[in-house]
Amino acid sequence: MKNRKLVFILIAIALLVLPTLLAAAQDQTVVRISWWGSQNRHDRTIATIELYEELNPDIDIVYEFQGWGDHWTKLSTQAAGGELPDIMQHDYARIEEWVANGLLMPLDGYIGSGVIDTMNIADSSLAGGMVDGQMYGINLGNNSEVFTLDTDAFAAAGLELPALDWTWTQFEEIANQIQDALGIHGIGVLTSDQLWKSQYMGCCDQWAYAPDGMSLGYEDDQPLIDYYNMLLRLQESGGMQSYEDSVARGDQGVEAQLIVSQEAAMAYHWSNQIVAVWNASGPERNFVMYPIPRPEGGQSQNYIKPSMFFAVTSQAKNPDEAAAFIDWFVNSVEANEILEAERGVPVSSVVRESLLPNLGAAQAEMFNYLGLIEMDNSPIRPADPAAHADVVGNIFGPEFVEPVMYGMISPEEAAPYLREEANRILAAQ
Amino acid sequence: MAATLTKAKRRKPSNFGQDNLVGYLFIGPWLAAFFLFTLIPIAVSLVLSFTDYNVLSNSGDFIGLDNFQRMFFEDRRYARSVNATLKYVVFAVPLRLVFALGVAMLLNTWRRGVGVYRAAFYAPSIVGGSIAVAVMWREIFGNDGLVNFTLNLLGIEGPNWLGRPETAIWTLIILAAWQFGSPMLIFLAGLKNIPRHLYESAEIDGANAFQRFLRITLPMLTPIIFFNLIMQLISGFMVFTQAFIVTQGKPLDTTLFYALYVYRRAFELNEMGYASAMAWVMLMVIALLTALVFRSSSYWVHYESDEGPA
Repeated sequence: MKNRKLVFILIAIALLVLPTLLAAAQDQTVVRISWWGSQNRHDRTIATIELYEELNPDIDIVYEFQGWGDHWTKLSTQAAGGELPDIMQHDYARIEEWVANGLLMPLDGYIGSGVIDTMNIADSSLAGGMVDGQMYGINLGNNSEVFTLDTDAFAAAGLELPALDWTWTQFEEIANQIQDALGIHGIGVLTSDQLWKSQYMGCCDQWAYAPDGMSLGYEDDQPLIDYYNMLLRLQESGGMQSYEDSVARGDQGVEAQLIVSQEAAMAYHWSNQIVAVWNASGPERNFVMYPIPRPEGGQSQNYIKPSMFFAVTSQAKNPDEAAAFIDWFVNSVEANEILEAERGVPVSSVVRESLLPNLGAAQAEMFNYLGLIEMDNSPIRPADPAAHADVVGNIFGPEFVEPVMYGMISPEEAAPYLREEANRILAAQ
Repeated sequence: MAATLTKAKRRKPSNFGQDNLVGYLFIGPWLAAFFLFTLIPIAVSLVLSFTDYNVLSNSGDFIGLDNFQRMFFEDRRYARSVNATLKYVVFAVPLRLVFALGVAMLLNTWRRGVGVYRAAFYAPSIVGGSIAVAVMWREIFGNDGLVNFTLNLLGIEGPNWLGRPETAIWTLIILAAWQFGSPMLIFLAGLKNIPRHLYESAEIDGANAFQRFLRITLPMLTPIIFFNLIMQLISGFMVFTQAFIVTQGKPLDTTLFYALYVYRRAFELNEMGYASAMAWVMLMVIALLTALVFRSSSYWVHYESDEGPA
């Protein structure tokens, strides 16, 4: 009996140690990589990694993936422990903070030596990854916010598709008409902080944050108040999903959007997410992508942004191999045939052209949409200040959106408090 | 012969030390882990609580009592998290204890298949703090969940349990009451230790079931109740998983439990200094409450071996 236990323990230990031993025996270089995303992205990225390992038998890529929130929790903890992976997926909202803390490695050397080939990438697509004149993040795809419309639902409701420069007033009408005709919501909740940030682009050519990030970037609370009064009306009429309902459902990722389950006829998300949304909805569905509605007589509230970056961390053990993988990930047609623009429209013109003839419905719509936005958009604003997570997590959500949407306080009362508190946090950075 | 004798003699004192050494060796792995992963981090967190240490920048300065000042006087969400936690403890702990005792008494009879029931009632607690149960709970109380489905059959339109600020925390309190397994097992052991002859003589004296419960079961069980109360009080204050998975602290911070808020500050906003200060306040409060309960125990806990009040 005792012997058997001992044998069991020995086998367990052997099983734990074996993979490491094998890897060491094969003399492979290990490159660790970590990203956030949906299931669809996980599947595609893993398949791409497996292809790379096949082509490069001396490289072993060890991957970790998670949702957006957990990604940052996990990686900041790893950063403190000196355990960051070689490559991490990064975001425009956070890259400044990470560079400021010395956690990322400049890639200019690799670009200069040609390890990372940027010949076929437009400068405008690369600019987002630059901090203080140095390149820290390689853009994995171009992105913009989008309102996706379910054309079948529109037809069933007897509604014409709106003009591409539709206004918030038209949007409100349409959402209500859908609710009246079909008994489903026009759209899910529209209380995301992203819509707050870009709120002032349409009316006033401003941004939620001042260019230096030390205060809010707008003076007049009225556009925000008007917007939230509209949301309250839509919540009341059912034109929009109630905030209460969205809380009860919880955040279950982009694939759980109401448009997927046909509980709403429209959805708001990032353009690259159409791949996951359409995939989860089924190929028989029909969607068309629209810009964010604009204020009466206002300009576009859309801007083009790097969807995400691959960055090499300053704690990377094998930065050379990491850079080589990023180059292949961005420039290889083979890789991008698997990835299928799930991270946004590829930045390499060669990749884009080679993908064009065989695009799936979702990808074709996304390419088309990004082309449309390129014609009419607002310029991208500076990356978010370091206190952005604090402002959104502790003020915008719990002190503005929630009390307003639960009717505890009016937008008129809440907006000045939001401004005051956000400014206090931003100034204290 | 003589040699072995002296050897045996000499061995005796040194053997004692060797025994100890073996003992320490056996608990060595635990001790090492305890120092490395519990004691040292606790000490470090005490130091951090007086700093503005940030995980991402891996730096911080001593800022004296600023964290505590901010916590008690400036942070509105902190006050809400204290509220939510107190409400949870005040309702969930007694409810769980009452349920545990009730079920323990039901199971303290020798009926057929009682073992199966015991296992069945204990099961929710084994999987208790787990993600799976929390996810299931979210489905049960969801808009189209089991609860509202059942209410619907009865012609009642159920509220949006998890979405309404008035009801969300109650779903978590009910979840806590349902996870009564471990105090129940302890109660069950306590019930089995009450001598039968006490009940028999009380019955002969004409005491009814309620009187027997009040006069025999409860007093004899007070040490167990005391133990369970302390344990549940401590775990009640540390509630985390349920809110993290089921409600995310929403709506309106009504389920933003203390531990969840500490986690948010520490790991989502990287404010490890502030979070450490919060954690230490929590530790002090729990220690104080536990001490109070201990103090009060001489008034209501009945020990068989006691000589009685002097």
